[in-house]
Amino acid sequence: MSDVLERPSAATLERLAVGPFDLEVLRHAAKRPGAPTLLMLHGINNISSLSPFLGHLSEHGEIVAPSHLGFGKSPDPGDCDTMYDLVHLYHSVLDALPANRVTLIGFSFGGWLAAELAVSSHPKLDRLILVDPFGVKLAGREHRDFPHLFNTNPAELNRRAWHDPAARPPGCYGIGWHAAIGDAMSDEEMMTLARNWDSLCLYAWRPHMYNPQLRHWLHRISVPTLVLWGAGDRIVTPDYGRAYAGLVPGAQFEMIDRAGHHPELEQPRAFVERVARFIDRGASA
Amino acid sequence: MELWNHCENPYPFVPNEVLEQAESVRASLPNQYCDPTIAARLYDEIFDEYRLCDDIGINIVTNEHHSGINNLWAASPVITGIVANITKNVRILSLGTLITVRPDPVRIAEEYATIDILSKGRLEIGFVKSGATEMVSGDANPMRIREREWEAIDLIEKSLTTQDGPFSWEGKFFTHPHVNIWPRPYQQPRPEFWAATSDLPTCAELGRRNIVNTLLFGGYDRTRQAFDSYKQARAVAGLPAPGEDRFSYMAFAYVGDTDEEALRIGQKIAWFLTVSIKSAPQFSKFQPGAVLPEMAPAAWRTGASRRPRPANLDAEVLVGQGQMFAGNPDTVARQIKEFRKRVGGICHIITMTRQGLVTHAEAEASFKRAAKYVLPQLQDLPPVDADETAWEARRAAAAAQ
Repeated sequence: MSDVLERPSAATLERLAVGPFDLEVLRHAAKRPGAPTLLMLHGINNISSLSPFLGHLSEHGEIVAPSHLGFGKSPDPGDCDTMYDLVHLYHSVLDALPANRVTLIGFSFGGWLAAELAVSSHPKLDRLILVDPFGVKLAGREHRDFPHLFNTNPAELNRRAWHDPAARPPGCYGIGWHAAIGDAMSDEEMMTLARNWDSLCLYAWRPHMYNPQLRHWLHRISVPTLVLWGAGDRIVTPDYGRAYAGLVPGAQFEMIDRAGHHPELEQPRAFVERVARFIDRGASA
Repeated sequence: MELWNHCENPYPFVPNEVLEQAESVRASLPNQYCDPTIAARLYDEIFDEYRLCDDIGINIVTNEHHSGINNLWAASPVITGIVANITKNVRILSLGTLITVRPDPVRIAEEYATIDILSKGRLEIGFVKSGATEMVSGDANPMRIREREWEAIDLIEKSLTTQDGPFSWEGKFFTHPHVNIWPRPYQQPRPEFWAATSDLPTCAELGRRNIVNTLLFGGYDRTRQAFDSYKQARAVAGLPAPGEDRFSYMAFAYVGDTDEEALRIGQKIAWFLTVSIKSAPQFSKFQPGAVLPEMAPAAWRTGASRRPRPANLDAEVLVGQGQMFAGNPDTVARQIKEFRKRVGGICHIITMTRQGLVTHAEAEASFKRAAKYVLPQLQDLPPVDADETAWEARRAAAAAQ
């Protein structure tokens, strides 16, 4: 069973003008004054307002979760369809946020983006949390670090992505989302999933879900970093995560039991506890 | 009218139990199931069929697909070059190499210019958008392939027609700082361009560019719509009316001694639709770009893939839908003439005969009957939709919109 938190979420969907782009942003106000801003970079799908971790996490920070270009209800990327573009987009997002210190949390594909962003650095970046990120090539040329998301049967992806595929929270879609298609899913949800899938393909078809150069520059990350991993992630394995964390100076690597590629959805309580401990340690430092 | 022979060089020799267990018979079926000695025999047989076609006046079409039982022509320019060398008379259409998969359109232009020289100007160049398993086997991003296709066509055309190069190209999808192909093509300014599509906006663009529009198995109504879109676009642009030589259609075909024989053998062709296009969901309905997001709910709820398939694969039904021409020579000639009338005029009929389980001997017998008894009945036909009065009316209506 997933560890669903009972606290209701009070997330709102807003717009944020960033250069020529009018981004969709999911926001959740912090429940205590002075709490840090948590900028979340989503994975293969934009973060749902139903996500079970939002309410509890907001006790530790203000949540700002934009939808990348081409995802959710953010505009199409046009020619800005590379990881390079997303990095610069989020530099602009960081510029636009009123907070002076921002904790960056990147999930899955968004974890890759967060690592790129941290490598390129930004004065507001205070702490970095990577949750089961893609992004670096570690294995040899004849071995994959993870399955090809577009060339693998969706049923297999679903089996590998979750500790318990049947217990995922409703309305939250991670890898293997295809298995959730059915009468309970609205047309709007399907259109969003299709749009997200198309956009992910634009950014990440080849090289598939990694930047061959990134591993050479992870040493430039200079902020405290937590790398969180679902112990049962069979899309991107904990061994990959441990090696990834080893390339980031001083990074902590922690695993969350009974979770796959999306520990924030399968074990939200444990996820929030780990994040809170990391953030609060920074606040008391 | 002209007849063309299109053979995909299928490989219907993989055991059924293997095909039934495979999630896809393209892209992911291991090549251990392709016996190279059988492949060699198939190549010999089909090149013999091409020699026969050259002798009897049926033009030849080649294409390519990759990593599957449906097609052993993995490189259309290679095969087309061989056809150019073993034939002397007929036109040769490459329809085509996969320009959305290949990384360098300039190299494609070089290959086609070479074949045009080899054939002494008998080459026609066809373009296909491709998609599905081809994106996987070619590791080509399935998104934005239509834009990529047009940029590739533009670069190929400029490469073939520029005689005072080198020129530079820095596009969205392709860059090449130094384009200057040798040899340049035999035909001036370039070989004829064809494209296979039923997408109406693309048909309209083909019309504006005067590119031959081919439909594959579209049936009567879709083909008529596509050709009308082509004509309408030219009318709106103030361009001259297209001749019937701008229109082409590919159908399954078998010419028998009798209708019964043709339908019996024609039924073997249905293997193409029943077996050779089995594909996994990640290569079809869930491939990025396979359906527009707004169409996804309908496609996913019904399980529809990107390519509509005939609901009934009985040969007689395919004939009724205009997707197969089959019968004795008089029957086939009547079917083609009826098709021409219903789609508003057409010059090129591409027949897919050596397909599925049809044998070498059966295919050659059909080609001989087609050349001797069908083709003569398709010459000097009265105009269908090309009279000047009708064209002026269409252009006036377009101008009034």
